[in-house]
Amino acid sequence: MTKYVLEFEDVWKTYRMGDTEVNALAGLNLALEEGSFTTVMGPSGSGKSTFLHVSGILDTPTKGLFRINGRQTSELSLKEQALLRRNEIGFVFQRFNLLSQLSALENVMLPMINKDAEKAIGLLDKMGLEDKYHKLPSQLSGGEQQRVAISRALINDPSLILADEPTGELDTDNAQSIMQILQDLNRKAGVSIVVVTHNPESASFADEIINMRDGKILQ
Amino acid sequence: MDLYKLALNNIRRRKLRSALTMLGIIIGAATLMVLLGVTAGTTTAIKDETNSYMYDIAISPESTTGTVLMDADTISKIRNLPQLYDFREVTVLSEEINGTRLFFEGTNNWKDVKIINGTEGVVINQAVADKFGYGIGSKIKVKNQELTVTGISKEVTALYVHINQNQAKELAGNKVGAIYAQTNGDPKTVADEVEKQVDGVSAVTKSDKIEEIQEMTNQALLFMGIIASMALLVGIISVINTMLISVMERTRELGVLKAIGFTNWEIKGSILFESGILGFVGGLVGVILGIIGIIAIANVLNLEEYMAGMMPSWLVLGIIGGATLLIVLAGLYPSMKASKLEVVEALRND
Repeated sequence: MTKYVLEFEDVWKTYRMGDTEVNALAGLNLALEEGSFTTVMGPSGSGKSTFLHVSGILDTPTKGLFRINGRQTSELSLKEQALLRRNEIGFVFQRFNLLSQLSALENVMLPMINKDAEKAIGLLDKMGLEDKYHKLPSQLSGGEQQRVAISRALINDPSLILADEPTGELDTDNAQSIMQILQDLNRKAGVSIVVVTHNPESASFADEIINMRDGKILQ
Repeated sequence: MDLYKLALNNIRRRKLRSALTMLGIIIGAATLMVLLGVTAGTTTAIKDETNSYMYDIAISPESTTGTVLMDADTISKIRNLPQLYDFREVTVLSEEINGTRLFFEGTNNWKDVKIINGTEGVVINQAVADKFGYGIGSKIKVKNQELTVTGISKEVTALYVHINQNQAKELAGNKVGAIYAQTNGDPKTVADEVEKQVDGVSAVTKSDKIEEIQEMTNQALLFMGIIASMALLVGIISVINTMLISVMERTRELGVLKAIGFTNWEIKGSILFESGILGFVGGLVGVILGIIGIIAIANVLNLEEYMAGMMPSWLVLGIIGGATLLIVLAGLYPSMKASKLEVVEALRND
């Protein structure tokens, strides 16, 4: 039986802007299999960021059913949602979102429940950051910061990585390298990955490319 | 690195702001410590003095001007009352010398006069020595008699010369300012009987006096407490303001923390912890400064022996604990604001 990491059934997300209503997601139907590597593309305003936010339980659908690893998020308390984010989802952001006052190692260890420096060091080593453990984000290049962010996303062994324009602020070489890391994670560790991107080269690393427009998936 | 270390890190990172925020708490706590401590200490001092000085009742002229003395006839009536025994008389008279009023107090117990130089007999206090330039051997003229200074006492609060009570009574024309006595039976009943049987005198019992002192000092404590609490209130408002600014500045950071799985309670807890640290350190520094202030004041007022009573552990712990608790409460609103942040909005924040 096929297991799905993300399931959307007629999901709507409606925002009110003054007197008008905007449907960021308009009856979205989608199921992503466990262990899949998917990129989501589309123009600005197509709803891809909202899709990612709902997928990461950072936002709630206005209507419809959404499940993550078979669990319906609307039935979870705020605490359960937070713990689900912490244990089963890893976030990678376009602007890295590392805490500026913490070192690379401290940033990676931040979401850990049982602090294990060895594990964090191991992840940084795998990302090629052997000599950067104690550097602050401001002392790292964009590519290095994103690799720290990926290490942080992986620290609690999530089953799903959600990346929002992870290569958006990187040069071509660093962008390729980050997408390669994500592909390796998917292929070797079986982590499900969803990447929202504008960049076709980044998108080409995925097994499946989804195009969105007006809150729906283009067939 | 957990959220609590992150909170400490935030305080360290914004040293100047944290210090300025704590300043309000420090001033409030130090003021509370000094005002309440000194009031509590002086209350104990006055009570002790009253306890050791007063007999069961004190009888004095009805007039409260302090210059009226009881004449020989009145003294004799009092002394002949069967309800009273073990009398002690005190006479205080004054004399204007070079335009300044100097008080001569009859002394029964020289141990109460803390002589720092010389011997019993005619003991001027340090204030008199400083004001008039008197020293041992100096002559002071009072009621046409010349007294020769034999010693100097430590106190500096008023211009006093201590002489033997017999001498004071004689100088005052065999009059006394107050008679202390023990009573046969209930002091309160005896006091009423004395007032009925001897004209022109009022009698107060030791417990009345202590009650009166207690009431006065309770009022003083309340008043001082209100003033000092105002200072602490400024500190609390300052913490609310600082924590709100801190939450606003860290909106994106808090959004990231929520996105990576920290619960609302953890976020709230870290803000409250940060407030609590400001309150605890502010309270602690304030109490230390307050203690330094108390030591200085006790030295000036010659109340060194009551210094320990001015900084009781309940006051020290109460101020530190109270400041911490109040400042944690001050952090409640900012922490709720932080925990209610919409993650998506927070992540968009620059």
